[in-house]
Amino acid sequence: MDWKPTRESADAWHMTDDLHAEHGKGDPFAAAMRATRMSMLITDPRRPDNPIVFANDAFLRLTGYERAEIMGRNCRFLQGPDTDRDDIARVREAVSAANDISIDLLNYRKDGTQFWNALYISPVTNERGDLLFFFASQLDVSDRKRSEHQMSADKDRFEQAVRERTKELETALEAKTTLLHEVDHRVKNNLQMIASLILMQMRTVEDRQIRESLGSILERIEALSTVHRRLYQSDDVSSFDVADFARDLVADLLTVSGRGSIEARYDLEPAVVPATQATPVALVVNELVTNVLKHAFREGADGEIAGHIGISTRRPDGHLEIEVSDDGVGMINGSSNNSFGLRLVRSLARQLRAEIQWQDAAPGTRVRIRMPVAEQQTHTKVEGGK
Amino acid sequence: MNEPLNVLIVEDEALLAMELEGLVEEAGHKVVGWATSSDEACTMVDQADADLAFVDIHLNDGPTGVRVADYIRERHGSMVVFMTANPKRIPEHFAGAIGVMAKPYTMNGLLTALRYLYEGVRRPPPTTTLPAGFTLSPTYSRQWARV
Repeated sequence: MDWKPTRESADAWHMTDDLHAEHGKGDPFAAAMRATRMSMLITDPRRPDNPIVFANDAFLRLTGYERAEIMGRNCRFLQGPDTDRDDIARVREAVSAANDISIDLLNYRKDGTQFWNALYISPVTNERGDLLFFFASQLDVSDRKRSEHQMSADKDRFEQAVRERTKELETALEAKTTLLHEVDHRVKNNLQMIASLILMQMRTVEDRQIRESLGSILERIEALSTVHRRLYQSDDVSSFDVADFARDLVADLLTVSGRGSIEARYDLEPAVVPATQATPVALVVNELVTNVLKHAFREGADGEIAGHIGISTRRPDGHLEIEVSDDGVGMINGSSNNSFGLRLVRSLARQLRAEIQWQDAAPGTRVRIRMPVAEQQTHTKVEGGK
Repeated sequence: MNEPLNVLIVEDEALLAMELEGLVEEAGHKVVGWATSSDEACTMVDQADADLAFVDIHLNDGPTGVRVADYIRERHGSMVVFMTANPKRIPEHFAGAIGVMAKPYTMNGLLTALRYLYEGVRRPPPTTTLPAGFTLSPTYSRQWARV
């Protein structure tokens, strides 16, 4: 039903009073109001304190009062200590302004029990616009309110549980991150210490061949160290740019005294591989580059070792291609004292499922490697080159 | 070597300090002291006149390397280079240090860094290439940037 301010004659409710004896006769609207299960009442704002002048049986059943106890009284007896003061103020405002209002109020029955009252109040005016009555209907919505409270409490409890769980997970993540940093720190320090031990031992050795062997070990360890440093220095520990590594490696090795006249020719395109392939790839590159620097060039008439080393990286779809070339004396199949290095390269190539070719570049040698790159998200470039 | 550098090593790992000492001397410079804690380091810089200090961030008494760097710079104006496995722990302003050598470094990387730093201390700005694994602080990378 849609109750809006309606225009009735001034004695409309007296007409209904006349029909008191016989329900449903004469004024069917009045009969309906008396008999409906919806609690309804009418107040008269022209009398002092806006008293109840009509209440149906449903109202009496809802509130537990006798008709005689409520007739002539203002409706505020339904309020109690827990009724919201702001809600009451809003009802009062609407009534004094003769506006309609719909509001949920906490009300009290005669026996003191509470119920939630979905109250609707609407002013009734005559054709001149004079305010004659207020019509009010009440609906017990305690069940709905209870389930609303229940839902709200459930929601609070659920949110609390989510907050607690989130905090637990954050703490666990923080602990894991700390542990990871600690382990990373130790790995780096240990790699550095292994290198230190080899280096210091190397310096005390007189025998040239032993010293060279220790030097090769040092270079291999340093290649591993550089992979680790690069991986954990970048924000992305899951991928590794072979091009950046190769550039650093060649630059690092060329700074050694006596190799000053060897020039590097870089032709490097970003060549990102997953971290799992980083170490074997780095070791292969290290072997090929150090092999060139040690064996590809002969001393010139001036006692200087001169020549060019070229290194290129490509990353065509699903593959990594590396080329290491020199214009030296040629190193087909390697020399005997490098056989361990060669075995290392062949074994690592098998691990990587790489094809590896030694070609006579006349002058010098060209080594080509082509290998499949494990499927992973491909980042174009991890960090900028120098 | 002309005007070799007086180098102070602040490092709690004996092996790394030994290696560093060996490399510094091999490069023709002089090691004036080795400290393993921040207190020891501060006492040592007060006594020895160091041109350059290699300072590990994590020392015997905790992550006190940055404090050591602050002290060295304020009291003596010496140049500091951090040596650490965890460069992310260095504050953004680098406590006035020249830069950081990330561990693990390579032997050649360190020798190149020494050559670079020698030029930086004796006749800045340095002209040799910045070695791999060495990162300049924002301040020094502006001052020493090569065009």
